[in-house]
Amino acid sequence: MSNKDDFKARDDRGAGIVFAGGIVVFFIVYWYFEVQSVRELLEMAYG
Amino acid sequence: MIFSLMLNYRKTLCSSLFFLLLVSFFFSELISSSHIAVLPVFEWMETTWFGVAGKTWGALFAVVQAGHLVGLGVLGGSVIASDGRLLGLFKGLPMRLVVDRCHSVFAWSLALLVATGIFMACGVAIKIYYMPVYWYKMLALTLGVLFVFFIRKPILDRDLDQVNPWLLRLLAISSIMIWFTVAATGRWIGFS
Repeated sequence: MSNKDDFKARDDRGAGIVFAGGIVVFFIVYWYFEVQSVRELLEMAYG
Repeated sequence: MIFSLMLNYRKTLCSSLFFLLLVSFFFSELISSSHIAVLPVFEWMETTWFGVAGKTWGALFAVVQAGHLVGLGVLGGSVIASDGRLLGLFKGLPMRLVVDRCHSVFAWSLALLVATGIFMACGVAIKIYYMPVYWYKMLALTLGVLFVFFIRKPILDRDLDQVNPWLLRLLAISSIMIWFTVAATGRWIGFS
């Protein structure tokens, strides 16, 4: 593998880790707050 | 030295910058001003041929919606098969074959989803404009498209034996999370 290909592979891998990690964190936070709001609504409705 | 690093890792830097900008956008005043700024576009959408047809002929809207749901089902199937294989399921099937075949099915179903989705959005443009969940769906869809074509595909186009298995798992989990959110928020719009 040439040096350029090696850098490209590392860059793709780095971008993959950053992007996929960002997505996982973002959607965990998003769904956490959605579930919390549903629980609060259910508590208000049924105690 | 720093310039050469930036040049060699520009995709990684762009991804980091993208998430920083996204988070800054969410916590700034820009989000509400952008929301107000796009209202005329949604008002115009309802006056287009698609908007009028979608509102006038309920049967046409239902047929297009059926196409949208079929597209969603096919897309979901391709995501489960492809990401399931990356996570270690269906070990009897060659990973390269599954990933490549699923990607072409995914691309066609995404095209069907976008085409039918635009028609449906025109029919109920003002309604969805005021729904926060619609904006989350659009965000998830945009993230998903960027992720699949600019991040996931370039990695999976390489020799899969050379890619770290944990990276493959991370890609699979994030892909499932994105498309699950797109599907769930889409159904949420339908039931609102």
